[in-house]
Amino acid sequence: MTLLRRSLLAALIVPALAHAAANVDAPAPAFTATTADGKTVSLADYKGKTVVLEWTNHDCPYVKKHYGSGNMQSQQKAAASQGVVWLQVISSAPGQQGHVDGATAQKLNTDRGAVPTATLLDPKGEIGKAYGAQTTPHMYVIRPDGTLAYKGGIDSLATADKNDIGKAEPYVTQALVAVSSGRKVDKASTRPYGCSIKYAS
Amino acid sequence: MSSFLRPAFLLALLAAPLLALAAPPEAATEHVQARLVASHATVAPGQRFTVALEQNIKSHWHTYWLNPGDSGQATSIAWTGTEAGPIQWPTPSVQAIGPLVNYGYEGRPALLVELTVPADAKPGGRFQPGAEVRWLVCKDVCIPEQVTLGLDLPVAAEAKPGPDAAQIEEWRGAIPKPAPFAVQVKAAPRGVQLSGPTAGVSKAYFFAETWGAVAHSAPQALKAEAGGWTLDIPAGDEPVPAGKPLAGVITLMTPAGPQAWTISVAMPAGAGKGPGPADLNAPVAEAAPPAAPQSDLGLLSALAMALAGGLILNLMPCVFPVLSIKALALVREGNHKAEGLAYTAGVLASFAVLAGVLIALRTGGQQVGWGFQFHSPVFVLMVAYLLFLVGLSLSGLFAIGGSFTGVGSALAARQGLAGSFFTGVLAAVVATPCTAPFMGAALAYALSQPAAVMLAVFLALGLGLALPFLILAFWPAAQRWLPRPGAWMDRFKQALAFPMYAAVVWLLWVLAQQTGPDGVALALCGLVLIAFGLWWRHSSGASAVGTGVALASVVLALGLSVWIKPVAADVRSAGDASTEAYSATRLAELRAQNKPVFVNMTASWCISCLVNERVALSRPEVKAAFAQAGVAYLKGDWTREDPAITAVLKAHGRSGVPLYLYYAPGAAAAEVLPQILTPGLVIEAVSPPTAPRSST
Repeated sequence: MTLLRRSLLAALIVPALAHAAANVDAPAPAFTATTADGKTVSLADYKGKTVVLEWTNHDCPYVKKHYGSGNMQSQQKAAASQGVVWLQVISSAPGQQGHVDGATAQKLNTDRGAVPTATLLDPKGEIGKAYGAQTTPHMYVIRPDGTLAYKGGIDSLATADKNDIGKAEPYVTQALVAVSSGRKVDKASTRPYGCSIKYAS
Repeated sequence: MSSFLRPAFLLALLAAPLLALAAPPEAATEHVQARLVASHATVAPGQRFTVALEQNIKSHWHTYWLNPGDSGQATSIAWTGTEAGPIQWPTPSVQAIGPLVNYGYEGRPALLVELTVPADAKPGGRFQPGAEVRWLVCKDVCIPEQVTLGLDLPVAAEAKPGPDAAQIEEWRGAIPKPAPFAVQVKAAPRGVQLSGPTAGVSKAYFFAETWGAVAHSAPQALKAEAGGWTLDIPAGDEPVPAGKPLAGVITLMTPAGPQAWTISVAMPAGAGKGPGPADLNAPVAEAAPPAAPQSDLGLLSALAMALAGGLILNLMPCVFPVLSIKALALVREGNHKAEGLAYTAGVLASFAVLAGVLIALRTGGQQVGWGFQFHSPVFVLMVAYLLFLVGLSLSGLFAIGGSFTGVGSALAARQGLAGSFFTGVLAAVVATPCTAPFMGAALAYALSQPAAVMLAVFLALGLGLALPFLILAFWPAAQRWLPRPGAWMDRFKQALAFPMYAAVVWLLWVLAQQTGPDGVALALCGLVLIAFGLWWRHSSGASAVGTGVALASVVLALGLSVWIKPVAADVRSAGDASTEAYSATRLAELRAQNKPVFVNMTASWCISCLVNERVALSRPEVKAAFAQAGVAYLKGDWTREDPAITAVLKAHGRSGVPLYLYYAPGAAAAEVLPQILTPGLVIEAVSPPTAPRSST
């Protein structure tokens, strides 16, 4: 029954996604997805809260840069303490780098000490394509009213070198500060950097 | 004392490794072998010289250009011990990774850098620049890699080129130079439109130097026109502000080979918004820049295909009536060998003339394609008159050159040869609108080749057309298959008039598309005049007066063509509301919306096109399949010359219609359907298994 409902939901939502686009200050594309722990969540569920989307692929060297250094985890913890919802999204297609099942996704986070609110499994790449997500990591910040506040890189230095994290301008952190104080995000759209998302081709 | 010594000592310690241990010029990682190559073996103080970083990349892996595209990271070099200029990048290529597009290199790219030897370098000493090189190398996964390379060159008062100087110059040839022509830019609905004067461009792609200036994954629509090319470039996520330079590399596939130029134009005001964030639902850019041209047939295979195409032409509905006249001639007694040769000569002469006209037009910078002569309504009218005359002759109203009557006398034999030659010409003339399946590729090849090759391909085509008759004429055994002559021949001859009249009906219908009802009325008046003149001559017993009247009526009919005027282009809906007129913009729009698109390039003078529409495309089951899959049906009408359609034909290695293309949603390129369609074939092409990419 739930399966039926879920597929019906998916059937309804997919066409809606196809023509949406993630533009700053426009409503962020709606989505419904299955999480790593088997729940179904929608963006609409988080209305009234700031939401961060983080596209990830645990084997990508640029993702490793930010998890290996603890940068991503500390940003997730800081967000959680401010009531910000942090959603990891895995859009790798089956058979591609970074594709994992729910249990593996949860274990990876436990091992890394990562604390996202939830991990969304998007093996068909529907959410990824709706947002135009290109890289891992690729970051989006959505305001409590559902509009997109920020999209782009996690920071300003497009390298895989951990030593650069300290020197980089932390775009996502800056965006979250601006959103929480109701200001406009200074750099609202930046170049995302990282590995290409391994969509089905 | 000690305060002076200590810093000096420390300095010496620091300098020692630099002086003594230059890093090696070569290093290898798991996926890339990298080496530094210098233009000079000995350098002079203050001298500037070139160093190349050559990457030998494992096959199927790639490294990145200055702007890596949707993802990825450009190779970087941090120099020590020297002053270094920026990296000079060779022309990149498009690397499609699923729906994402990257710009980079496969194989063995060489990045060039100008180094300057310090002015205070001492002759007799050594110049040892170091390079910390980082790159990202990707296949389906990405690996960041890093090597430390160095050079160790003797310094002398006089510089000396090294053994690799020539190699460096060769690599320099791969670095795009500033365009020697002006590139215009103007605002377009989805971004900007670049245009340039290069003729005959079959592919083009613009690599923007900065990330987000253009939508990397969006197709760039090329329009090749007589005066050059235009390229529509959708804007990316970070468009260049108006007035600031939009810089990058433009790659063009020209008849003379691939070209790449650096350009920088001031961004116009009012440039349209692009597809937004990486347009992942849009099809991947259909750009393989400096790759092999599409019609890359060799000369021999083009000749073979032209010959085969010519043979098949014999079976085409437009040629068959003419051919039947010739078959008729063979059942009579006579010098068949000479007739066969005369017929062949007629065909070949016509094709040579046609090739000559094409060459002349092409030299004049015109975009021409096969069947171009049918773009002219006057030409269509003339062919209609001609076929009508032949039909009247077969009906017995008059005799062409006595070829059907006087047999045996020397005079008649000569007239027979002239008749054969004329039949050959006629066959060639009416054959042109029927592009046989094998002919498309061969002709496209011919049109892109030097004049001599083009002529050879056309003659091969003509030979193919003439071959069956030539064999019959020279091989008596084959003649035995033909029926014996007799009284039935006259009836058969008269019966053959009807295919001719049918062909006239078809040509008038074509004329109706081109000129509207007025043109058709004029043409029918002309036919009545011709019929009247010939009837007068016939009833007057072929008297001199009668012949004069007949000639006058034909001349008058020809004179009517002065008033034949093409009407303005209209969208021919072909009685089907779901059909849209083709335009490159509409196609790009539909593809951006992720809709499946079927493109039908047709012309009303193209019989194969019409047959395909009748037996396949307008069948209810095909329409149902289109409706079910939500296929948008675009129809391009090439009845009149249209450079936009000529460009599409060219881009798919064709020079004539029909051309059927199916763009699956999200597919990188169109699927080219065969030139002879069946309902099953079309339904299979547009049915789901090939459609949604995300489900595969």
